[in-house]
Amino acid sequence: MWVNMGPQHPMTHGLWNLRVRIEGEIIKDVEPELGFLHRGIEKISEDRHYNEIITLMDRTCYVAGLAWEHLFILAAEQALHITPPERSEYIRVLASELQRIASHMMWYAAFVQDLGLMSPFLYGMRDRDLVLDLFQSFTGGRLTYEYMRVGGVRNDLPLGFTGQCRRVLDWLIDRFVEYDHLCLASTIFHERCDGLGVLPAPEAVAYGVTGPMLRSAGSHRDLRKDRPYSVYDRLQFDVATATSADVTGRYLVRMEEMRQSVRISRQCLDWLDDHPGPVLAAQLPRWLGAPYAPVGNESYLLKRNYPTGLGFSMIEEPHGEAGAYVVNDGGEHPYRVKFRSPVLINVWAAKRYLPGYRVADIPPIMGSVDVCVGECDR
Amino acid sequence: MVTLFSVSNTLSAALLGALAHILPTPLNGWATSSGVVTGLAALIFGAILLAASMLNTILLIWWERKLLGRFMDRRGAMHVGYAGLLQNFADGLKLFRKDTVRPGQADPLGFWLSPTAYMVTSLLIFGVLPISTGWNGGSLPLTLLLALVIFSFAPLFIFLGAWASNNKYSLIGGMRSAAQMIAYEVPILLAVVAVVIVAGSFDLTTIVQEQRDYWFAVPLFLALIVFLTGMLAEMERIPFDLPEAEAELVEGWNTEYGGMLFAFFMLADYLRALVGSILVVLLFLGGWTLPSYVPSVLTSFPLAGIVWFMVKTYIVFGIFVWIRASLPRIRTDQLLKLGWMRMVPLALLSIVLATLVVKAGCPPVLHCVPPMGG
Amino acid sequence: MAGTAERPPAPPAVAEEKPFLWVARPLATAAKQFVKSLWRPSTVVYPFERLEDPKFRGQVGVASGKPIGVGEIWDNYRGVHALNINTCISCNLCAFSCPDVCIEMVNVPGGDPRHPKKCPQIDYGKCSFCGFCSDACPEGCLTMTTRYELSVHKREEMVYSPARMFEIFKSKLPMNPIRLERPKNEDQILLDPPICIGCNACARDCPTQCITMLDIPKPTPKPGEKMAKRIWKEPVINDSDCVRCGTCIAVCPKDCLFWGTRQ
Repeated sequence: MWVNMGPQHPMTHGLWNLRVRIEGEIIKDVEPELGFLHRGIEKISEDRHYNEIITLMDRTCYVAGLAWEHLFILAAEQALHITPPERSEYIRVLASELQRIASHMMWYAAFVQDLGLMSPFLYGMRDRDLVLDLFQSFTGGRLTYEYMRVGGVRNDLPLGFTGQCRRVLDWLIDRFVEYDHLCLASTIFHERCDGLGVLPAPEAVAYGVTGPMLRSAGSHRDLRKDRPYSVYDRLQFDVATATSADVTGRYLVRMEEMRQSVRISRQCLDWLDDHPGPVLAAQLPRWLGAPYAPVGNESYLLKRNYPTGLGFSMIEEPHGEAGAYVVNDGGEHPYRVKFRSPVLINVWAAKRYLPGYRVADIPPIMGSVDVCVGECDR
Repeated sequence: MVTLFSVSNTLSAALLGALAHILPTPLNGWATSSGVVTGLAALIFGAILLAASMLNTILLIWWERKLLGRFMDRRGAMHVGYAGLLQNFADGLKLFRKDTVRPGQADPLGFWLSPTAYMVTSLLIFGVLPISTGWNGGSLPLTLLLALVIFSFAPLFIFLGAWASNNKYSLIGGMRSAAQMIAYEVPILLAVVAVVIVAGSFDLTTIVQEQRDYWFAVPLFLALIVFLTGMLAEMERIPFDLPEAEAELVEGWNTEYGGMLFAFFMLADYLRALVGSILVVLLFLGGWTLPSYVPSVLTSFPLAGIVWFMVKTYIVFGIFVWIRASLPRIRTDQLLKLGWMRMVPLALLSIVLATLVVKAGCPPVLHCVPPMGG
Repeated sequence: MAGTAERPPAPPAVAEEKPFLWVARPLATAAKQFVKSLWRPSTVVYPFERLEDPKFRGQVGVASGKPIGVGEIWDNYRGVHALNINTCISCNLCAFSCPDVCIEMVNVPGGDPRHPKKCPQIDYGKCSFCGFCSDACPEGCLTMTTRYELSVHKREEMVYSPARMFEIFKSKLPMNPIRLERPKNEDQILLDPPICIGCNACARDCPTQCITMLDIPKPTPKPGEKMAKRIWKEPVINDSDCVRCGTCIAVCPKDCLFWGTRQ
């Protein structure tokens, strides 16, 4: 019997469809159907200024907007040959790590809701709101931040931010213990999650699965260590791993990642306290400056002979490894933009890690994947 | 002594007496005849019971919403009426105004019958539950058995509605409901047997009266645990709400029901939750009685029995809400395993304990006195 | 799998929680939260309590032990715009910078009849609140406020006219205080002198009045050569006043103005 789980279904957390063939309660085959949320972001990007694409990045992954801004900015800066100030790099890393906490908390809330746990859902959402308040204080937005700019970030951190941020991080660290009490310290949680959705590391690599799903299988691949971008090579942190490759393993990895993110954020805050400075590069192509007046005709632009370039960046996004490729042909818009979404691949591997389990196991397993359909369909 | 019967008899007589004044001669004699008075009294009795049970059910929903809110660091309903007391009436009114849609491929008879029968069987139980001394419908020697039998009808109608809905989620939900029933019915009945052994009767009133020396929760703690767990499954509440596991089955067996039919299922669910809490209070927590060391002021006001009974019931339901707020849902196979491999042995052990209690005699831990008016 | 072999597994920072008495710990945690939220749950009772209200903000926040908002910082919010019509110079930069094309320049009273004053009108049905318009505004007259209540009954009400945004400006809401610095290597407006006909269009339409038409010497024509038909004036642009709006480029009938860097 084929059962549609989606596109409007409590399990999907977004607009996608999981077709499941079941015999009794046992899953025999699955078929993810994606593309319900396709907005053509890559194509729209070809018609926008570089900085205007940042507004799209927030909407690409709406739970990890700053991480995707970071991703695009890194590629665009490479393509446009711009070096951002050091302070802005630290602010970006701080923003990305806070975003990782917010995203993982959103995951936690959705995941426990799938298990039928009701209170932790609200605890997770409540504590995520504090991180959103921090975002609001320096970006001005709570969901769509539009904060990073090619060549730096829009504005410096406001006065008193670092102290407030440290207080929130202290609060969060305590909450993580509470989260573990509600999940890991519960026999029912272990009964529901242990040994489910097992995806061993070699197969995960073969499928291209990345992020916490891969690390829960014992792999140590983390782009922040393996291919450091921004200032990650100057920060101290451990790669969170687990060995069980199952739902519990992914839970452990994400929880540990949040703790490591707090650790990284604290180091960034310390650095930012000691090193004031500019946050936006002084030398920028004209259309990247604050006012975006009409540039004139294209032939004039070509006459000006701005340098062309290619940009490619990979970052460890909360869901996995994201990639961006930007082709700059010297115009005011990029010639081509391409993104690599980690969630798309993690979801497609469902064909491997879902069959054999029960219908009741689908919500925890798919919940542990952390599906964000926005970035999946782009 | 004011009892439910005496109240309805008085009302009926007063009503018919007033009616006799305006009726012509042959009819007024008939109206005041004892048969008619008793018949109307029975009707009024039913109406009071219905109103009381529905009112309590809706209050119970409010109670759950408020408690759950505090467990989740939020407030729950708070705007309609004082502290949101009227919110559920507003919700009910909204559902009442909604269209009830039957899917084209659904079987009409089963589709309409199922919510009605589910509701009616849930309401029927109130006919046999004693609320306080004299405040019960019928005093049968087998009240407890009757209540449990009516209680366990529900999965049948759930399955009927699920099958008639012609929906895959509903079907899986109905199947799970049937599977769940055989997992929890046996341990519940075994736990009840332990109580019956100690009390020596299947009559709920007698069981409560037998708890005058000590609440059965003390010697039969094991049976209480088994009974609570089984009741959770019987009520289909988290962690045992697999038939309507909303994460994978949308709404389970009532996916296709909307409007007033959904309200029927919802109300019946809470009716059953109320019955479950009442059964726990009656079987283990001394019903409407209080321990002897409680100052008599607390037990001497009018209708004290009913008040304490309701307080206990709502506290027991609060425990169910607490469990709902902190535990995840378990899986069907795990529930079956829990039912057969953990709860049945525990229930059997509690029967052994019950026989020991009867044989040895439990020291009177908590002396209970029936309050005034009892 | 790069990096797998080189690094030893990281030790877990926090010891893994083990179940204690089956489900005793989650029950205890929920009960703890119950007791904590008995007095005041973390919910903000929105229409009655508002996070932006300084009185309310002072009572809550992480420091107070109640996780309702972090506390102090709020004015940075990007909400509904406020427009100071009096200082608006009709430079069009906000409309140019809008990625969603939701800003339209409409006439407002108070301009000269031949060249009416134009101010932005914003369609909030399209607006994405990115803040690029207020970043682009050279005079700081279009700013974003902390107002976030936007629900309306009709779609047309989503369009905020300049007068309505001026009302918001006058209501003295906290406004986004951040102003961006102009990049150091901005291009300037340059002139291609042989093409210019001295028509005065650029000077007439310049919102900041930074263009002056200066007389240039009228050349004496060589014998047989036809004299160019033009006014013998040329625009001179005051760079420090120029806001780089490009209006002059747009209105120039001969396309003789362009962006560039003066050598």
